[in-house]
Amino acid sequence: MRRKGSEWPIVLGLIPVFVLILGPFAWLIISSLKTEAEIGRADPFALPGDLMWRNYLDAWQIGGFGGLIANSFINLAGVVALTLITCAPAGYALAKIRFPGREWLFYAMIFGLTIPVQAIVIPLYQVLFSLGLVNTLLGITLAQVSNGIPFGIFLMRSFFMGVPDELTEAARMDGASHFEILRTIMLPLSTPALQALVIICALSTWNDFFLPLVVLISPSVQTLPLGLVRFASTYASEYRLVFSGTVITFLPIILLYLLTQRRFTEGLTQGALKG
Amino acid sequence: MSLAGTTTKDADGTAARIARPPRQPRSSSPDRIGSALPLMLPALAVYAVFTLAPIAMTFWLSFTDSGGFNTTANFVGVDNYVRATQDPIIWQSLVRTLLWVIYHLVLAGGLGLVLAIAISRLRTTQVFFRTAFFLPHLVSLAVVGVIWANIYDPFYGLLNTALERIGLGNWTQGWLSDPLLVLFSVNVASSWQGFGLYMLLFIAGLQNIDPSLYEAAEIDGANEWHKLRDITLPGLSEVMTFVVSLALINGLKGFATVFVMTGGGPFYQSELITTYIYRLAFSAQDHGLAAVLCILLSLFAISITIVFNRWRARQSA
Repeated sequence: MRRKGSEWPIVLGLIPVFVLILGPFAWLIISSLKTEAEIGRADPFALPGDLMWRNYLDAWQIGGFGGLIANSFINLAGVVALTLITCAPAGYALAKIRFPGREWLFYAMIFGLTIPVQAIVIPLYQVLFSLGLVNTLLGITLAQVSNGIPFGIFLMRSFFMGVPDELTEAARMDGASHFEILRTIMLPLSTPALQALVIICALSTWNDFFLPLVVLISPSVQTLPLGLVRFASTYASEYRLVFSGTVITFLPIILLYLLTQRRFTEGLTQGALKG
Repeated sequence: MSLAGTTTKDADGTAARIARPPRQPRSSSPDRIGSALPLMLPALAVYAVFTLAPIAMTFWLSFTDSGGFNTTANFVGVDNYVRATQDPIIWQSLVRTLLWVIYHLVLAGGLGLVLAIAISRLRTTQVFFRTAFFLPHLVSLAVVGVIWANIYDPFYGLLNTALERIGLGNWTQGWLSDPLLVLFSVNVASSWQGFGLYMLLFIAGLQNIDPSLYEAAEIDGANEWHKLRDITLPGLSEVMTFVVSLALINGLKGFATVFVMTGGGPFYQSELITTYIYRLAFSAQDHGLAAVLCILLSLFAISITIVFNRWRARQSA
């Protein structure tokens, strides 16, 4: 859709949209550096007199953000690793091994893609409770992996189906096991699919709120979004703390995105469209 | 992220395969199930325990009088279903959810489409705007709830204070306390977070339209409106179907912003199916009634998926 002619009229039209969409970020960052009295003056366009970096120090210590970030990171690493370990072999089996009952198994796995997690939350909590996994990062991780399995399997399966059968059949003739084929032929070929799966999985885990809300009760095991919500309601009247705590929560992921922008966008788009 | 509208192509292919044996002999014989099972097992085990079993148990719960976790539940037939039809808040939450889904589709889907079309025409600044407009999508919906609860704060919030400063003081509102406004206000927050993904998908769709179509239309003297109506929108139809189904499912799953910003209030005016399930399950401990609502929510999601799969199959046929 690239046309001749100047693009400046469109850019001029987009500037007000840009201000409206990114205004909230600017307002939060500016307000997070104000004193409580400056925020009380209720002038959103005023800049802070002195930059109150102390707000960040206070929020970090009072809110225990170090622990929250560590929990979120453990959770994220666990979900990404387990998703790859479960979905890549299963996607390969469903794409390349012709075994009896394959269709039924595929439909059973895909069925979960349509069921919102809120619709199974009561028994899910009971299952986690009876396994002693409530209030643990392992419990939340397993629940999130299971929730992501239908999409992960679907994505990996569609990718593997695009790999020519000749490759796998030739390896079979040479006596390679399915596991060896997966490891030596399929996985090296599937970087784009794995990358998409990692990005989609990582973003949804890092930002998940519903399952952590249900499963993670004590502050010491909570993840970042849940911890921020608790922090913001406890210190609701101390705006400087709420604002700086909020910035602490979204800044890391935004910086990571800006650094890996092209790959991130590509993985997310391709993953969503393939899935 | 869960994606709707994904199974149709395979449904056709695999259904045909079940119905009759492969037309041409394959080079190798079918494998035994034993060779696939070890590869399937890790996924199957996790999924059976944490997804399939809970689906079945939800169904069972809806026929019991379960009054909380770790209590005995007795079979009560369709009592919960009868109670559900008599619960005014359930009806209200259904209406609120329908409105919520429509708002999300129009606000987030519409903004995504318009911005994608505008951005696709840019050359030097395209990556800049695409990156900038995607930023809200990276923020957790719960954090979006905290941010927008502060934006809507009646005294110190960005919205009312900015309106005062630019001389529109009489436009200020109690954005989250006005019963008629609250659902829309919260949805704006959700849609601010949601539109970026739809925009990216539309941009990908626009890149697949053959540029020579526009050149040919220009030679024929077509104006911008004609090109939009006759080339751009038809060229986007497949992505459009996908984005609409995705937006409907995402709307149906909406929870975090409402939970954080209003808790469903005031007077259940922003209570969605999901927030009411949470209230019934974890505050009221009425698991029988909650399970009925869970089944209803699943049925809505399944219907959307089936309808859009059919639609997509017809488009690609």
